Amino acid sequence: MRRLVLLLGLLPAPVHAHATEGGLVLLLPTDFYIGGGVAAVVLTILLVTVLPDRLATGIFRPLPLIRSRRLRPPLALALLSFALLAGLVVLGLLGAHNPMENPLSLAVWSLFWIVLVLVQGMAGDLWRWIDPWRGPVALVLRRRPARFRLPAALGHWPALASFAGFAAVLLAHPAPADPERLAAMVACYWAFHFALALAFGPKWLRRGEGITVLMGAYARIAPLGAARGRWRLGLPGWKVMARRAPPWGLAVFMVAMLAVGSYDGLNETFWWFGQLGWNPLEFPGRSLVVRENLAGLAAALVVLPALFAAAVAVGLMLAGEIARFGPAFRTFAPALLPIALGYHVAHYLPSILVEGQYMLAVANDPLDSGAHLLGIDHVHVTTSFFNTHETVRLIFLAQAGAIVIGHAIAIALSHALAVRLFGNPRKAALSQAPLAAFMVLYTLFGLWLLASPRGV
Amino acid sequence: MTETKTPSAGPADPSRRSAIATLAGAAAATSLPLWARYTHAQTAAPIRIGFQMHATGIGSAYGRWYDRTTQAAARLINEAGGINGRPVEIITEDDGTDPKRGAEVVEKFATQHNCDVGYGTLFSHVVMGSAPRAGELQLPYFVVSEGHHVASGKLNRWTVQPGITDVKSQVMAMAPFVAETLGKKVTMIFPDYAFGHDHRDFFTEAMAANGGEVIAKLAIPPTETSFTKYFPKIPRETEVIYHVMVGPAVLTFVKEMGEFFGPSRPAIFGFIDSLEAVDLASPGLEFLEGTYFWEGMARYAQPDQTEFDRHYRAAIGIDQNGASTRDPKDVSTYAHMFGCWETLYVIKAGMEAAGYAGPADRQKLIEAVEAMTEWPLSNEHPQGAKLFNGKTHQVFGPQYISKLEGGRLNVVQTTPIEAGFYPDEVDYTTRSF
Repeated sequence: MRRLVLLLGLLPAPVHAHATEGGLVLLLPTDFYIGGGVAAVVLTILLVTVLPDRLATGIFRPLPLIRSRRLRPPLALALLSFALLAGLVVLGLLGAHNPMENPLSLAVWSLFWIVLVLVQGMAGDLWRWIDPWRGPVALVLRRRPARFRLPAALGHWPALASFAGFAAVLLAHPAPADPERLAAMVACYWAFHFALALAFGPKWLRRGEGITVLMGAYARIAPLGAARGRWRLGLPGWKVMARRAPPWGLAVFMVAMLAVGSYDGLNETFWWFGQLGWNPLEFPGRSLVVRENLAGLAAALVVLPALFAAAVAVGLMLAGEIARFGPAFRTFAPALLPIALGYHVAHYLPSILVEGQYMLAVANDPLDSGAHLLGIDHVHVTTSFFNTHETVRLIFLAQAGAIVIGHAIAIALSHALAVRLFGNPRKAALSQAPLAAFMVLYTLFGLWLLASPRGV
Repeated sequence: MTETKTPSAGPADPSRRSAIATLAGAAAATSLPLWARYTHAQTAAPIRIGFQMHATGIGSAYGRWYDRTTQAAARLINEAGGINGRPVEIITEDDGTDPKRGAEVVEKFATQHNCDVGYGTLFSHVVMGSAPRAGELQLPYFVVSEGHHVASGKLNRWTVQPGITDVKSQVMAMAPFVAETLGKKVTMIFPDYAFGHDHRDFFTEAMAANGGEVIAKLAIPPTETSFTKYFPKIPRETEVIYHVMVGPAVLTFVKEMGEFFGPSRPAIFGFIDSLEAVDLASPGLEFLEGTYFWEGMARYAQPDQTEFDRHYRAAIGIDQNGASTRDPKDVSTYAHMFGCWETLYVIKAGMEAAGYAGPADRQKLIEAVEAMTEWPLSNEHPQGAKLFNGKTHQVFGPQYISKLEGGRLNVVQTTPIEAGFYPDEVDYTTRSF
């Protein structure tokens, strides 16, 4: 029996089978690029260790811009956002069955999960304005206040559970983009958190709802933000420096964000296929590997926080400060956010190059009625940039650049946080040594993921 | 409104499935007197073809081109009056290139979308996973996968492959050319799993029948990404290398093979499947200059290009190099996607022959297709004339052997249809529905 040939990896597989252009990538001098990337990260470590601490913390001092007023996002906008989501859910049920043509599938997996997350980390807290729960929750709570108090002991742990559920759909659901199933999932997820927000008040969204917490975490590393009455622009991480260390649940959540992103890359590699004994050229489909993907995700969610905790602990032992493990873990966890965002960019760049075109087509004609809202006669979706050496090289370098920059910022931020925590240059440097090694290895891992042959 | 579509006013783009318009149509229809609704549905309700598309998953690159070809053919069919006076509507569902989801999609076609037929599945494991469900639901299922599974007898009476030849036939048709023109002693290099094994088995047998011999068989583990250690195993007396490597490492394979042999190399023959949708001007492929490929249909327009090939390219928007007219770097899956086009026209011919009026006539449709024997080279069959074997549910056609010269593939031989014949392995017409 003949199994049809796959040009696997040579061509993009949009949505969750993320785009790859592996064939040409394998021909690139990726060893050289990886070496360069790792060297850049090592150099960053040397610089932040050698340079005076004033400088290390100084680079995270933002530039003040115009005065800011504490604006409350208007309720109307929040309600509009909810209405839009509801409309999208309806279109998920009634619109095109092809996820590449359905507004809901594209809105969730391309616009929200790729673009909006990126905007949140690169520009600022847009989610606060458009979160689809806030409007309806505010309307109801006006008339009928929340009945329960969210126990403080729960912290951000419910949000971590909620995010893990989201990640399970992203990574293990057999058909995460299928419009009908997605409509049901979105509606249930919204209703679940809506009900809990009514019960516990809006606090639930900030501590119990995974997406809002994720968006809030990324907003912490956006270069632009308001602080002390002014808009300020600074190196990603300045807001982390300006705030107190997050509580335990949120700190672990931040490490989990990186864990999910890492597994999302790892589970596509030939290496991973080899571990599980699957033939990457004859991938049996997501339906058959649900259990494996769930196990992999669970392992990532345990292993990475454990590794990070170990690196923090060893550093504290070197600095003679092991008693401060709790504060140190919580302080350093946000330093992983730039790495998580770098992974996000690198991982989804090829996908968004393709899905962006589908989004344009749907924006041009959202109801599939033959409209030309953007004045485009016909959107031709092309993937030719995966076919030429030069464009594949550019894409690879952009991805590698995102990973290296993410790590470089993370190292500088982590060092600055250590200086703040210990107030002693020697202790700060010692406490950072194992974390720096962790980050160098993580750079290597990230770049290796990009250069590896992939099977989905 | 879908309910009031007439062929001439049919949708320009048959994929425009307007659920909202359909709802409006249903609402309007319910306001009509009962007799008017009834006659209306009988005359102008669309023929609903369920297109099982690999929109996501490992097949998505093929899926995109299968979709473009499908939409183009359906548009032309509608412009020419539809099928039995009714417009064609393509109902697309994504199966994620996943066998289990494939079966679900087939079920949706039959029970939810009220499709007349299911169509368009490409990847063999998805066909294998979906066809049994189509059989249970008695949904005519027209696959475009080139797998041998249909003709091997593994499937059922409801599954037909009338638009693309199967791999057994393709491989067999290559052997005479390889033995007579390139050399008698062949070393095969193939990935070590079912796909590669089929090539190994079919070609070894076919070479023996043509007076040649496969002297070495190099099975490469599917996860391999460097091949230098395998090349020394190629026997010195090898006259021809037959390669069917696939996957992301195929460019590396070609490059390393070029480095290994240098200027003095044996003749090389491969299947374009390795490089389908890849720009042959890609770096590392220079080594393939002067080598030969099987092509299901010639990617580059040939000097003797038929008017039918011209018509087909124009309808889909493909240039003379097999790439999109809107982006010359966007290379199509030209060697395979004609199967969608030709299958849609077979569905049309079958429905017309059966006087197909609705799902109650599904069995008549299969019987009508089984009774068909040949289709001439035409706008409907631009790849070439076809002979259809109603017993095995498999079509047979010409194959193209092309030589890579100056970065383009020039056809050097078109094999006769008979070169791909083999004894029947099944007679589906004796099986019950």
